[in-house]
Amino acid sequence: MVNPATAETALPAGMALEIDGIRHAFTLEGKPLPVLSDVSFNVEPGEFVALLGPSGCGKSTLLRLLAGLEPPDLGEARADGAAITTPDPSRVVVFQDPTLFPWRTVRANVALGLEAQGLMKTRAHRIDEALERVGLGAFGNVYPHQLSGGMAQRAALARALVNDPRLLILDEPLGKLDSLTRMSMQSEIVDLWRRDGFTTLLVTHDVEEALFMATRVIVFSERPARITADIAIERDYPRHRSDPYFADLKRRVFGLLGMDATW
Amino acid sequence: MSDSALPRYAFAAPQRPWPGVLLAAAVWAAAGALIRIWPDEADFTRLLSTIVFGIAVALSLLAAAGPYLPERAAKVRFAAPWAIALAVALAAWEVITAKTGYLPRPFFVPPQELLGVFVDDWAKLFECVAHSVLLLASGYALGSTLGFLTGLALGWSKAVGYWGHPILRLIGPLPATAWLPIAFFMFPTSWSAAVFLIALASGLPVAILTWSGVSSVGGAYYDIARTLGGSPRFLVLKVTIPAAMPNVFVGLFMGLSASFAVLVVAEMMGVKAGLGWYLQWAQGWAAYGNMYAALGVMAVMCSSLVTLLFQVRGRLLAWQKGLLRW
Ligand SMILES: Nc1ncnc2c1ncn2[C@@H]1O[C@H](COP(=O)(O)OP(=O)(O)OP(=O)(O)O)[C@@H](O)[C@H]1O
Ligand SMILES: [Mg+2]
Repeated sequence: MVNPATAETALPAGMALEIDGIRHAFTLEGKPLPVLSDVSFNVEPGEFVALLGPSGCGKSTLLRLLAGLEPPDLGEARADGAAITTPDPSRVVVFQDPTLFPWRTVRANVALGLEAQGLMKTRAHRIDEALERVGLGAFGNVYPHQLSGGMAQRAALARALVNDPRLLILDEPLGKLDSLTRMSMQSEIVDLWRRDGFTTLLVTHDVEEALFMATRVIVFSERPARITADIAIERDYPRHRSDPYFADLKRRVFGLLGMDATW
Repeated sequence: MSDSALPRYAFAAPQRPWPGVLLAAAVWAAAGALIRIWPDEADFTRLLSTIVFGIAVALSLLAAAGPYLPERAAKVRFAAPWAIALAVALAAWEVITAKTGYLPRPFFVPPQELLGVFVDDWAKLFECVAHSVLLLASGYALGSTLGFLTGLALGWSKAVGYWGHPILRLIGPLPATAWLPIAFFMFPTSWSAAVFLIALASGLPVAILTWSGVSSVGGAYYDIARTLGGSPRFLVLKVTIPAAMPNVFVGLFMGLSASFAVLVVAEMMGVKAGLGWYLQWAQGWAAYGNMYAALGVMAVMCSSLVTLLFQVRGRLLAWQKGLLRW
């Protein structure tokens, strides 16, 4: 496992997370809808944790709580020991829906975080770097409606990456990509994570993707979500998709997701 | 002729003139002849026919030069049917008024009499336009600025929304002209009263549409800006305002139309200047030619201002172009 704690800064490049007894419910048509029931787990700095679970079980909700966009009903999430109460640019989210600002060009969308933090003077060069990295170098000046769905997702990824996050929260960031682009983006994200050492949480429906990228996979139950399994993936990088180790794990995870019949 | 001896297209053959524009020139020339040759008792008949001939000459020059124009400028040829229709309409108007008297004076005015108004009274008309535009611009700028800020505050702040909503619901539907008697009584000058009325008429739709624009901004945009470290100020300036802009412009267009109505009424009722006043003054003298002239000038003024606003919107909302048709 890779965990390059940088020597210059007091804090490691990755953020430590403690998720402690979180419960959360929504009100739907006047009735309470429990979504998270007693979710607890810790994440070490620099870990890459994939979250798997059935659709609608509460994964995106958990990510919103960790981003600080909403407070949990009960329990607490802590980043490096401090309770998460508000959003912070050290914790950057790539949402399930790319939601680029339609009135801004792609480059201006990617610049959003730097503008918000007043870093345009010193770090503007990062914008084109990030665009290159997601393969949108030639599309900086176009508007979002001129992009394909997959390109918009890649632009959203670039918008997150320019901020040098210590925690990168990815909610199905590659869902709209074709399988080839998807594979190359998976490798790209893993490379970035290995280079920069940030902590990563990845929600995905693709078991193979989770196994190929993450150091650890957490499986959730149907709503209200509980953790049903927490599996460490002990394979070094670069990984190979054909590794038989992954085939065995895959069968196990599909079993946990209630799909054993087809395996 | 051998193929290799000469480049075949070394000398471009002279291009044929645009046929549609040429036809338009002919129709204008015919209209000019009709006006000149058929005798009547109106003044300015000669001047009118000279102008019409001048247009015919200009059109034939355009027809000849047209094929050599760049493609952008060459679009004018699509206006040829309009040019023909206008000449026919002018000739018909001339025949039923000046030439035959079929439509009686003074209610119906022949074209040359209208031309006479511009020749005799252009200075006054110009002054009236300047006065109207200044009054309208003052009221509209004030109203749309205040309306925009009000709408922003209503949509952004719960407290302002709580107090502002019922007030706006109550006075919003009231036509601004209903305030006219009170305004002329309350304000020190009729000019300031008119500015107030125009500001009210344009400010209300801007406020309401800005407000609805602000409240319909998707929460996802705010989530993104917040996770990227955006301060409340950043959220207002970089999320709320740009996202609400399409709605704001709908309000600005509604406000502009409303302000035209109030401008004319205010000028007729209290302000002793401007096109509205000119109209009423002309009515007092039964000077129908002057009334038609002022109406025409007013139409040009209003439609120019609307066009100007369209241009501003096109600049600011260029990003929308691919999203919807307008
Ligand atoms: N703002 C909200 N108000 C009410 N209910 C909500 C809200 N957001 C989510 N829910 C409900 O919470 C449940 C979990 O939603 P969530 O988006 O977290 O699921 P998810 O695990 O991310 O699903 P998917 O994999 O399909 O994205 C759903 O049943 C949804 O209806
Ligand atoms: Mg989700």
